[in-house]
Amino acid sequence: MGIATFLTRTKGSADRADRIGAADILAYGYLVLGVLIILVPVLWTFVSSLKDERAIDSFDTRILPMTQVEADVPGQGVKPVWTYTAPDGSERDVVKAGPTRAETEVVALDDPETVLTVPRTSLEANEEIRVATENYLDPILKRNGQTNFTFLTYLFNSVFVTVMATLITLVINAMAAFALSKYRFRGRLTFTILIIATLLIPSSIILVSLFFVVWSFGIFGSLWGVIIPAAATPTGVFLLRQYMLTIPDELLEAARMDAASEWRIFWRIVMPLSLPALSVLAILSVIWRWNDFLWPLIVLISDPSKHTLQIGLTTFSGEFDSNFNYILAMTVVSLVPITLVFVWLQRFITTGIATTGLK
Amino acid sequence: MSVAALASLLIGVLWIGGGTVWLLTRRRYRLAQVPNFLMDLVGFPVELAQSLFGRTGVPYALLLPNMLIFGFFTFLPMILNFYVSFTGGSSIQLFDRPWVGAANYAAIFDCETYFSPKTCSNEGYDFWTGMFNTLWFVVVQVPILCVVALATALVVNKNIVGRGFWRAMFFYPVMLSPVVIANIWNWVLHRKGALNAALGSSADAMSAMAGMTGFDLVASVVFAILLMAASERAMRASDKPSVAWTAVFGLLFWAVFAWANPLAILGLPGSTWAGLALAGLLVWFVSTAHPKARWAIVAASVLSILLLLTVQFDAVFDFGRVRPVNWLVTPNTGWPFFWLVFVFCWSHMGFYMLILLAGLQAIPKDLYEAAKMDATSPARAFFRITLPLVTPTLTVVLVLSLIRSFQIFDEVWLLTGGGPGRETFMIVQNIYETAFTGDRPEYGEAAAGSVLMAVVIAVFTFFQLFITRRQSEF
Repeated sequence: MGIATFLTRTKGSADRADRIGAADILAYGYLVLGVLIILVPVLWTFVSSLKDERAIDSFDTRILPMTQVEADVPGQGVKPVWTYTAPDGSERDVVKAGPTRAETEVVALDDPETVLTVPRTSLEANEEIRVATENYLDPILKRNGQTNFTFLTYLFNSVFVTVMATLITLVINAMAAFALSKYRFRGRLTFTILIIATLLIPSSIILVSLFFVVWSFGIFGSLWGVIIPAAATPTGVFLLRQYMLTIPDELLEAARMDAASEWRIFWRIVMPLSLPALSVLAILSVIWRWNDFLWPLIVLISDPSKHTLQIGLTTFSGEFDSNFNYILAMTVVSLVPITLVFVWLQRFITTGIATTGLK
Repeated sequence: MSVAALASLLIGVLWIGGGTVWLLTRRRYRLAQVPNFLMDLVGFPVELAQSLFGRTGVPYALLLPNMLIFGFFTFLPMILNFYVSFTGGSSIQLFDRPWVGAANYAAIFDCETYFSPKTCSNEGYDFWTGMFNTLWFVVVQVPILCVVALATALVVNKNIVGRGFWRAMFFYPVMLSPVVIANIWNWVLHRKGALNAALGSSADAMSAMAGMTGFDLVASVVFAILLMAASERAMRASDKPSVAWTAVFGLLFWAVFAWANPLAILGLPGSTWAGLALAGLLVWFVSTAHPKARWAIVAASVLSILLLLTVQFDAVFDFGRVRPVNWLVTPNTGWPFFWLVFVFCWSHMGFYMLILLAGLQAIPKDLYEAAKMDATSPARAFFRITLPLVTPTLTVVLVLSLIRSFQIFDEVWLLTGGGPGRETFMIVQNIYETAFTGDRPEYGEAAAGSVLMAVVIAVFTFFQLFITRRQSEF
């Protein structure tokens, strides 16, 4: 191997610290693979959602949203335009006047009276780049018969569930965490263990009886049936408890000296001081509630006016198995808010989950 | 008006009305202090508890709302599950349901052979199909998920350019809702979708290239150079071979071994797996820093050059006409199951990666510095420092991913709907369909299924904790 070493030797000593080694090559290879697998499908969905219906139906795999030009030809109606290349090399814009065969009848745009018969292979679609905004606007503005996807209702329901559930979660979890971190009382260990125990109960095994409970409470079929059962989260309690343990007791004692009530201490001192942990929990809660699927599906499915965005999108995709252009556009619409939240608050989210290690 | 609505109305009136009176008689608020008053009103039960029982009453009042919700919506259903599983009928009035004893369980266990769901009654067929599919899914999914998450965490823990971006990118799918994920992958995996188009065009390009004259010779030379470069790099380091380069060499070796198909001479199938095993063996042998590791690489290089001479590259790279696969629909191919595992990994890996990343960053840096002082190879450092110290975190990840994989529903429901046939029919889907779809909901049977599922999850979790013998950090 001496010769090979000689041939592949580079300038400088062999063990320079910043030399790119095999480990780095493997790592970067892995990252490229990650881009291919993670970002490309999402971006492909986005790019596809900008294409018009015909391109989507024919599974056009070009990246740019190419749309065939249409023209209103007298006597033919609105038809897609093709470019006819004559044997002598000249090109004319034509529309098809009959069914597509080996020899197709076409009429030229500049001379709609004469019917030409040309070989199919000499016709090429006349395309332009056009962003198909109708994919987005039709379901939202209920045009072109797209009345089933009541986007604003779904959006309102999703936002309502997310905001209310997050507010309730923040307040009651912070209260519980405050009690567990700053008071010594009988049964503290019991309560802690009870809260841990809920962490180990998977939500899908209590599905059926949770349905009975929610039904008996009379909140089945309403948005509150989605909000309340999930409002108390063990994750939130632990996240906040760990944080509140770092708040010095002296602050609380000083406030007690000034005759502040315990609730005021909680509200005016502990809550503002645990704002970092609260914001992490808020972000987590928003993600959970926004993406929640199985439980809303059970509770809300029967009443379309109560559907959240996720449920609405599911039924929408189920109804229009072929209308991929609308499905993709609405997928992008429901993907955008969470992506924006993520891009803005990415650092909070990642550190928040990494420190709690829970979901 | 239901009792619950009446009760909540009563509580609301007491809370707001009583609280207002109580607060206003005890405290003075100026007009600018209306927000203060409102938040005092929110905490009125706590204030009341303090005035009634002193400070000892406060923590109980603070815990009350959380524990009420846990009690009613987690613990009560947990107990009710048992009750419901012993009742029949389709009434949703809890006390209207006839007690049927263990009939629901009997229906599920009504099988001739438990390992073949086809011999069961209808209920048993659904349940056991779902159970076996889920178990199989978990057994395949959890190791893959953990290995991929650990590998990703190791990569993004390195000192690479744009580290924050890469971490965010790998985490991003966790943020997406199952519906969005399903729609994206439905679109990509469609029979005429982007994946088939990309596979088809690259196969065509390969075939066209392989059809050119002299391709065999050129490809052989290229692979020979790659193999030699990788093995030389692997052995260049002063005394111990580099594991990372050995891994690169191993990948090339695997490819050559699979193409040359030497086991076919003996009339045996499975050259691909044998090649993978040999390559893995080589990497493992080198990573143990055995004194003979260098000779193993030399032997593998000689073997791979010999194999390379027998490979007909124009045949290997000629894919002919590639038929597009209907990934999510074609039965008896295993593809729908594969894509479920893939999509589940895709959408959940980032979360476990973050946990493992936190675990990796908690490892003291001086350990690695000490290892570097002793000229420890990176592989040895990984097996002797990183892996033992990250094991507690890995245990947490194992348990969490196990519980999560067991509950897989959203992705299956939206991507394959349990099909084709019942190939990807999972246990939660069985529970959901039994209880909530169909004309006659069978709540009792679904509850019995949930109880059995809970038992299986509990057994698995404890088994796993027992094997790893470490308490998770709760």
